[in-house]
Amino acid sequence: MNEAAPLPEAAVVAEKLTKRYGSLTAVEDLTFSVAPGEIVGFLGPNGAGKSTTMRILSGTMSGTSGRASIWGVSVALDPAGAKRHLAYMPENNPLPEDLRVEEYLTLRARLKDVDPSRVGERVRKVMDDCDLTRRASGRLIGQLSKGFRQRVGIADALLAEPKVVILDEPTIGLDPHQILGIRDLIRSLRGKMAVLISSHILHEVEQVCDKVVIINRGRLVAQGRTEDLRRELLPEVSFTIVTRADEGTLLAACRTIEAAATVAALPSADGWNSFRISLPTGSPARETLAGALIAAGISLREIAEDRFGLEDIFLAATRRTPGEARRP
Amino acid sequence: MRHFRTLLAHELRSAALSWNTWAAGGLFLALMGGIHFFALVEGSRAPSDRTPVESTLWFFWLPLLCVLPLLTMRTFAEERRSGTLAALLTTPASATAVVWAKFLSTWIVWVVFWLLFTLFPFLTVQRLGTPGDTRLGDPSILWGGLCFIAISGLLHVAIGILCSCVTRSSALAALLAFISLLAMTAAGGAMESLPIESWEWLGWLREPAAHLRTFGHLQDFAAGILDSRPIILYGTGTLLCLGLAVLSVEGQE
Repeated sequence: MNEAAPLPEAAVVAEKLTKRYGSLTAVEDLTFSVAPGEIVGFLGPNGAGKSTTMRILSGTMSGTSGRASIWGVSVALDPAGAKRHLAYMPENNPLPEDLRVEEYLTLRARLKDVDPSRVGERVRKVMDDCDLTRRASGRLIGQLSKGFRQRVGIADALLAEPKVVILDEPTIGLDPHQILGIRDLIRSLRGKMAVLISSHILHEVEQVCDKVVIINRGRLVAQGRTEDLRRELLPEVSFTIVTRADEGTLLAACRTIEAAATVAALPSADGWNSFRISLPTGSPARETLAGALIAAGISLREIAEDRFGLEDIFLAATRRTPGEARRP
Repeated sequence: MRHFRTLLAHELRSAALSWNTWAAGGLFLALMGGIHFFALVEGSRAPSDRTPVESTLWFFWLPLLCVLPLLTMRTFAEERRSGTLAALLTTPASATAVVWAKFLSTWIVWVVFWLLFTLFPFLTVQRLGTPGDTRLGDPSILWGGLCFIAISGLLHVAIGILCSCVTRSSALAALLAFISLLAMTAAGGAMESLPIESWEWLGWLREPAAHLRTFGHLQDFAAGILDSRPIILYGTGTLLCLGLAVLSVEGQE
């Protein structure tokens, strides 16, 4: 009887991964994991070691020390076995210029051990999914625009229905419409395959990913769900208000409900003053601030809670010392 | 093995559609056609020990040095430069399968070039010869010489493939192949021309030099002498070069 293989606890495991080039350490002691079906954003400034890590995980580069496994298979000990569960799209997405899209995908399907009877079906499916059928299937890859080349790379990654997909900057060079399409495509993979995706477009990562891993100078600086990282890395909530009151009056009113409150002036116009009021994240004053200010006789034209996005988390995380990051 | 077959079919198809192959083929036929023509002219002027076919085959080193590097230079260097080799290695296909597929497809193209060359002596005999007259070209010499070129071609192509593996520049790969093939072809002849016998301290070179005489091998094959030693030399040399090429591809980072 053909029983289904048990699901591993983690689809991707990087454990104390280190890569050195002589005296230069590109990746150091990096530990993180991606659960099956999870979409994880892999973030870091330029030169942080993202592409190196992805190349080690994909088996195209060997690490100096540490362990990397894909779907429970060690990348170092059984590279061919690990590659059977993995699809990797490198950063610059190198493609042969002299092949037509359909020919290229057919070749890749055969090399990726797709059942020969299903090669044609799979090629058509991924070309449909990546919107290549109508406008690009018969064209030479060398004649395609950057956007279509990216789609060919993603179609290639999805061809063999791998358990793990690693995409290095998949939306680089795409226009907003194409980015939306690729984002929807990646979102549709949730629950079907584990996706590790690196991108500089943080808004996009926030929209698509269940979790983020942030590295800086080759070391882990933060990882977890965006909400958890917001609490961990941004210990304050802030409000922007526009009022006639001055800073001293405002601060006094705020201090009546939260002793740790701080007020900072922002550029003002039209005789109105703008301020940023900061409160500790867990402060109950967050709920009652507007009422308390009005009760103190301060007239408000505007009050709005500042929303900290992944960009703020990223900036806060990449400013911290690598050793401060929590271990999973 | 399945990956090897897929890769070999892909490489052969790419070679057939590549302008590089057609340019190399054109150059090869122009070179060999020219040499054969001059061999015929020379043969018609004065009696010679060699038939025109033999004289033409004697110049096998010319396409070996000028055409073969053109065939091998892009096999890995271009793929390394563009990054498509790294992308290929993200599939379950092994470096060994990739190297052997590229090697075998290039060797097949090289042999096809030489088979096309046989059209020249064939057409010459058809047009100018008389039945039973072997003065224009003895078929046994032709096929014996071609056997040598096919067998030695295994090592020559493997050297070109190895040179292409160690650099990202196709031009540099071609230059490396040219120098390596020149050294290999000339080494045997150079050693033969040296008075090794009279230099006692070089006496140990006598035996290896005897094995490296490339032109001697051609002569033996053309005469129908089948010696296992050159076959073993070319076979082991091929395996060594391809083994190093696999290591080079696996180690590329």
